[in-house]
Amino acid sequence: MITHYIKIAIRNLTRQKGLTLINILGLSIGLACFTLFMLYALNEFNYDRFHKNADNIFRAYRWRQPMNGEDASGDSFMPMPLGPAMKQDLPGVVNFIRMQESWGKSFIKTENNVMRIGVAYADPEFFDVFSFHLLYGNPAQALRGTHSVVLTKATAIKIFGNENAVGKTLQIKTDTEFESFTVNGVCENIPSNSSIKFEILGNYLFLTETESGKRLMNNWHRSAYQTYIQLQPGSSLAYDETTLQNLYNKYHSDDLAEMKKKGKLKGNESPVTYKLQPLRDIHTNTKINGEVDPKNIWILLTIAAGVLLIACINFTTLAIGRSAGRAKEVGIRKVVGGGKKSLVLQFLTEAILLSIISMLIGLLLAQLFLPWFNQLSSSEIAFSFTQFPELTWVLIALTLIVGVIAGSYPAFVLSAFKPIEVLKSKLRLGGSNFFTKSLVTLQFMLSVGLIISTFIILQQLNFMRSKNPGFNKENVIVVDASGMNTKKIYPLFSHALQSHPEVKGVASAELGLGGETGWSSSSFDYKGRHKNVYEYFIDPDYLHVMDIKLLAGRNFDHSISDDTVHSVIVNEAMVRDFGWTLQNAVGQQLTGYGENFNPVVIGVIKDFHFRPFSEKVEPQMFQQFSGYLSFKYFVRIQPGEPSKSITILQNEWQKIAPEFPFKYSFLDQDLDRFYKSEARWAAIVGCAGGISIFLACLGLLGLAALAVINRTKEIGIRKVLGASVTNIVKILSIDFVRLVIIALIIATPVSWYFMNQWLQDFAYRINISWWIFVISGLIAITISVLTVSIHTVKAAVANPVKSLRTE
Amino acid sequence: MIELKNISKYYNAGGKPNYVLSGLNLEVQKGEFISIMGPSGSGKSTLLNVIGMLDDPSGGEYFFNGDAVHGLKEKQRSQLYKKYIGFVFQAYHLIDELTVYENIETPLLYQDVKSSERKAMVADVLDKFQIVGKKDLFPTQLSGGQQQIVGIARALIARPELLLADEPTGNLNSKQGEEVMELFKKLNAEGVTIIQVTHSEKNAGYASRTIHLLDGRIEKETNV
Repeated sequence: MITHYIKIAIRNLTRQKGLTLINILGLSIGLACFTLFMLYALNEFNYDRFHKNADNIFRAYRWRQPMNGEDASGDSFMPMPLGPAMKQDLPGVVNFIRMQESWGKSFIKTENNVMRIGVAYADPEFFDVFSFHLLYGNPAQALRGTHSVVLTKATAIKIFGNENAVGKTLQIKTDTEFESFTVNGVCENIPSNSSIKFEILGNYLFLTETESGKRLMNNWHRSAYQTYIQLQPGSSLAYDETTLQNLYNKYHSDDLAEMKKKGKLKGNESPVTYKLQPLRDIHTNTKINGEVDPKNIWILLTIAAGVLLIACINFTTLAIGRSAGRAKEVGIRKVVGGGKKSLVLQFLTEAILLSIISMLIGLLLAQLFLPWFNQLSSSEIAFSFTQFPELTWVLIALTLIVGVIAGSYPAFVLSAFKPIEVLKSKLRLGGSNFFTKSLVTLQFMLSVGLIISTFIILQQLNFMRSKNPGFNKENVIVVDASGMNTKKIYPLFSHALQSHPEVKGVASAELGLGGETGWSSSSFDYKGRHKNVYEYFIDPDYLHVMDIKLLAGRNFDHSISDDTVHSVIVNEAMVRDFGWTLQNAVGQQLTGYGENFNPVVIGVIKDFHFRPFSEKVEPQMFQQFSGYLSFKYFVRIQPGEPSKSITILQNEWQKIAPEFPFKYSFLDQDLDRFYKSEARWAAIVGCAGGISIFLACLGLLGLAALAVINRTKEIGIRKVLGASVTNIVKILSIDFVRLVIIALIIATPVSWYFMNQWLQDFAYRINISWWIFVISGLIAITISVLTVSIHTVKAAVANPVKSLRTE
Repeated sequence: MIELKNISKYYNAGGKPNYVLSGLNLEVQKGEFISIMGPSGSGKSTLLNVIGMLDDPSGGEYFFNGDAVHGLKEKQRSQLYKKYIGFVFQAYHLIDELTVYENIETPLLYQDVKSSERKAMVADVLDKFQIVGKKDLFPTQLSGGQQQIVGIARALIARPELLLADEPTGNLNSKQGEEVMELFKKLNAEGVTIIQVTHSEKNAGYASRTIHLLDGRIEKETNV
């Protein structure tokens, strides 16, 4: 029986090639889209599960109860002695791995090359605890020896080409000089779903032997390292809060005493403790340095499901529309003894068959668009059934579900036909009942909603990119000197640039401005109140070069040496936060800031946006303490063609620091990077909107074709009676346009509500304007009218004699 | 075999019942060959559909082999006609997407006949109607007469006791029509009960009894 169903399904599908094509095309696109998003979600939710010991590995973190008006918070940067202390003091700890992630890129020198590659360090048992497979080298030995390193395959190829890198040496610039390291192993590239990432992995014990390392060995107050703990299977240590609290109390008795002195302890309970979080939670727990909010993954999946739903609806509406053509078959089958059940099964088989074909094509499409999708989502997902074993059954289930969802309504409608009526063709099958109309409306609601959302995201993005941040971000080249001997380079470089008229000014700072440039802040008690202040280390030229306005007091002065010891410049937000006024701010002492000194405010600047526009301007403080390293050089150039200035900079750089590559960026682009995630959302929602309106129109195209077929006689009669082509096109289109308009009316308030919610996350935001809805509506109506007209015009210009003769 | 008592059928047209059949009584014995004649709108097809259980009468009683059809549920009724009744239509009503072979096989699929048995039965019928050579053709590749032969073959594949034919020769030329009638006669001789609706006096003549309908009533009966 089932072979019979499949046979007739194939014959039906091949007979109506046009509609089948629309169905398959739509479903494949929908499925491809959903598969990609699902792959993304799988990747995110499967983070770190590939380790053999994943269930027994935990990461230590510090948990602070809410205090002084701050929310509870966790962080996973741990002091150096924590790992050894845990193994020594706690039951069930098999191993600990401390890890220093790569801080920026280090300079790597080989015989004939210098490049910048990140270097991370981990305890030598790393490859026993984690399942990163070594291609060359012995897991137990790879990180023995303080000057051993392990490279990933990609890094090995980057440095040494395709030869076996084991045994080769490379120079890594550690604090100030290059040191020689031996490659002791090469491991597989890090999977896309690993929280632990490295390019070059060194031995953590190397760090403990450096000067600073020796000082930190027993220091519980400097926290900079991830600490992973491997527990015995079945150990309940991770849930044993008392034991962990005792550990904290043991090693932080001085902190507790301090807090007690300040009256911060409620009773004897410490507000801070160590805890352990499962390895598998690391990626999605945003409370503890997690990278991804699961909410966003679900939003993405929902959008993808919406697109898939639109594709399914196409199948349903077209199948209902086509039912006139199938009615006779249903009638005959019933007369010769076919029951309702067998007919439902037959039509479902057809739908599932179609969905299988579409899934196969969809997988091809997904594979094809994967690189592009990876770029869009800045991930490195591979279509791998070994990495995601659950993919197989998820895809099979998806195919069946799509088949059943898309096919069930038509199956039940068709199988309910009364044979005597359809065989006598008494039944008038218009192909557009209320149900069909609602589905089409739903399709356009979703598409229009996505388009409106895209416009709003784009508008907000544009607003943030183009809004004046309070300083002049144009025509500034930022030279990156991080990791270099900048104390020597900067004076030479800035001096050399003075002779070029293209350069209007040069300044230096420790940090850049914009996305991925980092920030630093400090918290301290000012007159008994907890304060958090962003701190920036700059030189006296900074405010001038950046065009930052001084409101009171004075700028740093090269000639006043005292400025480099205890002078600070603050912003208005800090003045307000500290309860000063513009008039009395200058001269205020920042008590509680330093251990032995209290810097004095010498100037107040106008607030500027050093953080993205999603955040309010927070208290900010500039210093130029003599110890800071100016890793970023800000060069203000003449407006116009920047390439000439870049060449000048590059030439001067070559003369001064030929051993280091010249790396630069534009300040406005750095700032745009703040909005990378918004830009990504705009791209994703925009694509989803584009695809869904395309799919909805595809469905409309099919429905229009059916409407024309069903109304051939009516069109003929109307033409004979004198209707013009425009008249007829109007009559045929109006039904569809009406649906699109209803969709618009519903989509407008819904998308307004959701996008308004979204905008609440931004401290500075646009007002949603009415024209966004008008434009989105016009786009939807125009596209749908054009789509429908492909068929209606053809029908309207056809010779009526022809259509009437068939009667 | 069939007993209709006081059968009526009406449709509502503008609030008033419009009677297609009214108070009709009919008895059909096993092995009979009956023609139903009458002008357009006299209720011929409706009567045939009621007998074939494709249509419910508005009133009256219907006994088929002693079973009270009017009291049966839809499912039981379909079991009944699946087993005992075969249909032939004026417009043949073959499934265009299926070959001759598959069209004939379809009723057996719905009766859960085993594959090997199905093959034998279809082969038998193809042979009997001399259309073995056409078994892989699609209906559109056949002439009207051939299509009707296939339609009859399909109606008979499950060996029904009763064959209902609604103007089986209406779309055929006279030679083809004659062939179909000869076939019916032969089948009747083999024991199949046949009821046909026809407009043609000549075709009606093949039957053993002719019923003339007018305005939903039996106007007269003629026996040969």
